Amino acid sequence: MTDTGLTKEQQVLKAHKAKLIRSLLPIAGLILVFILFNVLTNGRMISHMHLAMSQVYVIMIASMGVFFIMTMGGLDFSQGSILGISAIVVCYLSNYSIPLAVVGGMVAGAAIGAVNGYFYVRRKIKSFIVTICTMFLFRGLIKYLTTEAPVAGSPYLVMMDSTQFKVICTAIVIVIGYVCFVHTKFGTYLKAIGAGEKAAMFSGIRTDRIKFMVYVLSGAITGFAAFISAIKVGSVTSSGGNQLETQILIALVLGGMPISGGAMARFGNCVVGSLLYVILSSGLTMMGFSTQTMQLIQGVVFLLFVFIFADRKAIQVIK
Amino acid sequence: MTAFKNLSGATKGYIVLIALVILSWLIFKVLTPHNFGSPEHLLSYFQASLIATVGAIGFYFVMDMGLFDFSIGANIILSSIVGCQLATQFGLGYPGLVIGAVATGALVGLCNGFFYVRLRIPSMIVTAGLALIYESLANYIAGGMEQTLPSDLRGLGQMPGNIILAFVTFIIAWMVLNYTKFGTYTYAIGSDEFVAKNMGINVNKFKVLAFILSGAFFGAMAVLTISYGSSMVAVTGMSSMSRNFIPTMGCFFGLAFMKYGIPLQAIILGEFIVNIIFFGFISLGAPTAIQDVITGLALLIIITFTTKVNKGEIVK
Amino acid sequence: MTEEIRLQVKDISKTFGITKALQHVSFNINKGEVHALIGENGSGKSTLTNMLTGIYSMESGTFVLDGEEIHPKNQVDANNMGISIIVQELGTLSGLTVAENIFLGHEDRFITMGIRNTVKMNAEANRLLKAYGFDNIQAHKMVDEYNFEDRKLIEIVKATYFHPKIVVIDETTTALSQEGREELYKHMNRIREEGNTVIFISHDLPEILDKSDTITILRDGVYIDTVKSKDVSEEDLKRLMVGREVTGKYYRADYGEKVSDEVVLSVRNVSVPGLIHDVSFDLHKGEILGFGGLSESGMHEVGKAIFGASYDRSGSVTLADGTEIVSIPQAIKHSIAYTSKDRDNESIVINQAIRDNIALPSLDKLTRWTKLPFINWRAIKEFAAKYAKEMSVKMQGTEQFVSELSGGNKQKVVLARWIGKDSDIVVLDSPTRGIDIKVKQDIYQLMDRMRKNGKSIIMISEELMELIGMCDRIIIMKEGTVSGEIPRSRELNEHSLIDMMV
Repeated sequence: MTDTGLTKEQQVLKAHKAKLIRSLLPIAGLILVFILFNVLTNGRMISHMHLAMSQVYVIMIASMGVFFIMTMGGLDFSQGSILGISAIVVCYLSNYSIPLAVVGGMVAGAAIGAVNGYFYVRRKIKSFIVTICTMFLFRGLIKYLTTEAPVAGSPYLVMMDSTQFKVICTAIVIVIGYVCFVHTKFGTYLKAIGAGEKAAMFSGIRTDRIKFMVYVLSGAITGFAAFISAIKVGSVTSSGGNQLETQILIALVLGGMPISGGAMARFGNCVVGSLLYVILSSGLTMMGFSTQTMQLIQGVVFLLFVFIFADRKAIQVIK
Repeated sequence: MTAFKNLSGATKGYIVLIALVILSWLIFKVLTPHNFGSPEHLLSYFQASLIATVGAIGFYFVMDMGLFDFSIGANIILSSIVGCQLATQFGLGYPGLVIGAVATGALVGLCNGFFYVRLRIPSMIVTAGLALIYESLANYIAGGMEQTLPSDLRGLGQMPGNIILAFVTFIIAWMVLNYTKFGTYTYAIGSDEFVAKNMGINVNKFKVLAFILSGAFFGAMAVLTISYGSSMVAVTGMSSMSRNFIPTMGCFFGLAFMKYGIPLQAIILGEFIVNIIFFGFISLGAPTAIQDVITGLALLIIITFTTKVNKGEIVK
Repeated sequence: MTEEIRLQVKDISKTFGITKALQHVSFNINKGEVHALIGENGSGKSTLTNMLTGIYSMESGTFVLDGEEIHPKNQVDANNMGISIIVQELGTLSGLTVAENIFLGHEDRFITMGIRNTVKMNAEANRLLKAYGFDNIQAHKMVDEYNFEDRKLIEIVKATYFHPKIVVIDETTTALSQEGREELYKHMNRIREEGNTVIFISHDLPEILDKSDTITILRDGVYIDTVKSKDVSEEDLKRLMVGREVTGKYYRADYGEKVSDEVVLSVRNVSVPGLIHDVSFDLHKGEILGFGGLSESGMHEVGKAIFGASYDRSGSVTLADGTEIVSIPQAIKHSIAYTSKDRDNESIVINQAIRDNIALPSLDKLTRWTKLPFINWRAIKEFAAKYAKEMSVKMQGTEQFVSELSGGNKQKVVLARWIGKDSDIVVLDSPTRGIDIKVKQDIYQLMDRMRKNGKSIIMISEELMELIGMCDRIIIMKEGTVSGEIPRSRELNEHSLIDMMV
């Protein structure tokens, strides 16, 4: 009721301004950070761009899946473990056939997504609790499977590693995701679930089925990202996919994603966010910051952006 | 069955919990009769379970309000490193260890509560972001070195030191829950925040207080952890999250038995059960890498059984 | 009786967003009386008492209690001034003991040096419970161990043990059994005899006339009149509540029209565990079928059951062509529409644009090419604009979020969605709940038009007046089962319905 002093026009103007900030800040931040680091590193960033960009593909692809999940109000902390398990499957199967490896990775990811989806949708356990459990569980499995030695992929796998190939793969995934989210009812349904799940259900949306399928889908997408990551490294160690979930969460928040999802989610969030995150972290590395300093900066920036983009109207009681 | 129904809530709760203790013991005793489950073994399992129980009991005050904390592990690492440094570098001995760790824990709790209330964003997101910061602070303080507690300061890691410290924290928690308005208010806020606000309860103040109390308990848990394990490494990249699990498990026991009026007792017995199962797997010869799998699975199963599935309820 | 003024309500106004809930309301309440507050839903009774008890913040105007201006900040603050409330819903908090609930916010009297003497608190609570005659309730037990009725009794203790000057009883009686009611009446009498005041809110007019001394009528947030109970009849009250000027074209005016024999929907032996039991009926083409009863009678669940939204439903809901309805998407596909009583949660996606809300069930037909699933945003915009205009939704544009609209306009958005879908069977659960008279009239007229166009309507409502005014047939529900059925007639009045309800 704090807005009662304002006239209707002022309120509309204010809402409009907030919307503008929401959509422009991430992009402005991206440009600003890019220029800033180029100045600070005397142009080293531009010349080493391909190095910085080599991190972006995996994060961007995987963050798209999480973007779908967060749009409908869920969370997923198991992405790193999904990537690890899928990468193991990809590497293992690549010794037989590369296409089989791609499919196998996606199926493995989808299967873990299905586990998440089952406990979240059917057993009604909060998504962040389910996914921290599965994160830990499958992280243990990765450690177990790589106890003796890293799982090595076929040599053909690394031979596929070229910037061109990875850019094309990423672009295809992002374009498909964009079309589905913006130009089919898929995106509208996800936003409706995030903004008011019960009402979405009463509008004829099969909410439970969609929620489950989105977790499966997101797992499969990360399974594909595991393939991209596998062609870069060629093998998987016990730390495969470590921290990916944190990186994705930070990336999405930097991209302007409202933490509770809903109608304010924009597809650009995951694209801009992952670029911003990668440039920020590689810029900090180039400037010679230590791991703990980088983490400190990440933490502060993360909280700042969550604060700016939180859609507080949508969450009445903030728990 | 009708006789069971007529019992008072607390008695019913105790029967279920003790049955679970016996059941989990029995399963592993049958599987590995020789190196599991003797009275001495059980005592050592119980001592090991006390570490997480202390944290879980503090965490209960946060969770019964419906809030969450992702910074538990980071808090424990930071608190134990500060406590260890005060005890050794500054030569403050036991008082430095205990007061340093508990005060650091409380301070971390204060930060959690303050930023949660001020930024008005979900507690688990705030604490996840802050965990990044705590981890990096712990790294700075430790200077990249493993912090080792000298053997003459590890008294709180063994009998009777650990039992005494744990017992003191239990008494405090029990007093707070039953004999102050703070306990009542956290329940009231957890039950219906809107009604609680209408009753004149300063909701934000009590949320911050709960985080402080919970933080202090994690500080105490940090003392037990470093005394038991003798050293602590500062990690980065949210690896501290793995320390969140065991206290969280106990807390779910507490929440499940809240309606019987014995939450603290349920946490103590719950952590005991969890430890019986762990040591059971170890005596079965499960590889250490698999332990994480068991932990993750155990928490998932505990939550699955303690969560009531209400059709049509919206869960995010 | 001496008439000493206890509370002066002076020029109170309150707005929620753009809804004027109360407009310059002024009247007096005396000592030692039961003062009833009546009016239709949305007339502002609860808003007024919620402000008095500190649940809502004050906006303009003042309350003067015994000559002193008061501004209660919250319920405890109001308690300290001598005002308490028993609310309609569950007012006790789960997870707390009975004693903790009774003394919530007032623990300080048991606290010394930060330590609460729980033993003393429990003893005090037990003493009070005994004095009230609620011997079966024990202070140290969790409140969760008691049923709804007992928890209401605990609330009575909580609200009255400190002999407040004013006790507000907000529609508590509808949820209580006869015994529970008698218990409540007993305490209302006691409070009055002590020289204190009860503000009594109820929908049950005979109950109001029987139990209260004075009655104040509100309509659409405006003060209408204050009368003595002994001077008025039920008819007078009704007239005052609805208002003269709208009686003419408010409801349907026709009587004796023949309803088609064509059955469009037949419900057979439908049960939902714990909510409804063995409900069967037919709905005809062009018929408005009403469902009436107490709020807990199961009638709201009937609407959900037809729409495929109930859990664990048994029995069958069949359309004329033999299709069985089992899920929401299927119901929508077969031209069934549903508006929920819980509008903000179940009918509209509140934090979403009006456009998306209207288009949501119709997305399938708003595609760019008929065969492909790509949606056509221009078509959606036009679609939403068209039906929003048809329903005359007051908005700044279809991009505006629904959360910014008033209750009436939200309901119009919901109706626009289903009119856009061109549904043949429309289930309206409490369609006029919390809506001002103007929009109500629009909705009634819309229903009449739809009926004439051959659409069939099921109207579920707690307001008997609108059921009598609008329906071809009324089914009364009681404790989950059908307790009676009444055809439309001019002679029908609330009494004959209430008899079947309780």
